[in-house]
Amino acid sequence: MIRSFVILAGFIVLLLFMATQTWAGADADMAAGSEPAVSSPGTEPAGGNGAGHDPLQEDNWEDDNWEDEWEDADTIADPLEPINRFFFHFNDKLYYWVLKPVANVYSRIFTEDFQVVIRNFFDNLRSPARAINSLLQGNVGDSSKEMARFVLNSTVGIIGVGDFAGDVLGLHPANEDFGQTLAYYGAGGGFYINWPFLGPSNFRDSLGILGDSYVHPLILLNADREVIIGAWTFEKLNYTALTLVDYELFTQTALDPYTAVKDAYQQYRNGLIKNR
Amino acid sequence: MFICYIMSVKNQISGVVEMRKYLRQNKVMLLVPLLFLAVFTFGAGTYAAATEDPMQQLQKRVDEVLRILQSGELKRPENKEERKKLILNAVTDMFDFREMAKSSLAQSWNTLTPEEQDTFVGLFSRLIEQRYIGKIDSYTDQKVVYKKQLVKGDNAMIYTDVVDKDVEIPIIYRLQENKGKWLIYDVKIENVSLIVNYRRDFDSIIRKEQFAGLVEKITKQLEKPETSN
Repeated sequence: MIRSFVILAGFIVLLLFMATQTWAGADADMAAGSEPAVSSPGTEPAGGNGAGHDPLQEDNWEDDNWEDEWEDADTIADPLEPINRFFFHFNDKLYYWVLKPVANVYSRIFTEDFQVVIRNFFDNLRSPARAINSLLQGNVGDSSKEMARFVLNSTVGIIGVGDFAGDVLGLHPANEDFGQTLAYYGAGGGFYINWPFLGPSNFRDSLGILGDSYVHPLILLNADREVIIGAWTFEKLNYTALTLVDYELFTQTALDPYTAVKDAYQQYRNGLIKNR
Repeated sequence: MFICYIMSVKNQISGVVEMRKYLRQNKVMLLVPLLFLAVFTFGAGTYAAATEDPMQQLQKRVDEVLRILQSGELKRPENKEERKKLILNAVTDMFDFREMAKSSLAQSWNTLTPEEQDTFVGLFSRLIEQRYIGKIDSYTDQKVVYKKQLVKGDNAMIYTDVVDKDVEIPIIYRLQENKGKWLIYDVKIENVSLIVNYRRDFDSIIRKEQFAGLVEKITKQLEKPETSN
């Protein structure tokens, strides 16, 4: 346990060092590359130059988008459809019979501000995974930003409940995970899997979840299985409380909710992979 | 706080130095985009004079919807129907339902008779209403940030962020100009395109039950009671 801590600490120091080298360069690139074809809006984005809004990258990505307007990637292979549909149904019932009623009570007891704080706390625990994956995808700038976020939010942000790095320094999270890293190195999604409890995924992203879990602080700290499951359930419950109507509205207004969710998952993941 | 301030100043200074270096090294490279920029703004200038900016149009209409939603008068129970009608009118005015219905059917659209097409447009727009009016009612105090727009002929993309519970949700609108009016024909929320999603959904039904099956399913769907919040 102590050894993994030392390794992590070394990694943090290394990245923070690299951070000082790369931020300046990234700023210059952004300033030079963002002008053409963009008419500036009246209101400025709230957080300043966030990690996810690199205009240079976005512009390339948009150019592709004008062309392949509806021609999206092929539909995802689904050889396990009967099992997937079964578990889709299972998760759906889980939502209506367990998650939603509990989340309703939870929302009545705890204010939304508190729920945001809890979400920040759990989100902060995923920072190391995001940092490592940004690095694996060759994005040293994002990786160091993410590590700085983890260090700052875990300390100044008080174990991650406040987003000090995002609110004060304008360091926004880079949404990267191991599934996207695998895609970056050319791995296709494989077939669709609808996991019980976890929800929609595919073969590649399931490996990704497994990979990312190895650098989750709870696992690094050798927490008991009960603690891990408890923490995960609490995170899920808190998330459900924050997004109560969304799932229902989407699935209830789709003709075949299973297909709609499957496609939304694929589009969402493809977007994240493209938007590196 | 003090440390952050020092850090940000340091970053800015090094940013300026890097920028200068960059400019010196890439003079020619910079000239080309500048030239393009000049041509672009000149060309766009004459165009924009004739019609209103798509982003301005969108913003105006969204503000109108928000005004209705926030009006205390309309929130009273006796005005419930009136409020719903006003929202519906304001929202439907923003979309090109025919275009959306057509894209969501892909090739199947061309196999339909004009009457069938009209019926489908009607059903489809009510389906969209069902999804989005339900959502719009749960509106509390989300902020909309208009980030930028790209215009290419009579097509436009507008990038916005909706800030909800401290999280930024990227929403991209695709618009098409129709007689000076910019109408939305697709919405991408967190990269998920509404039209592509319906396309897959409809396709899975058409393949099994043909167009008649699809119409039947949508009709049944519309009869369902509204989602309660």
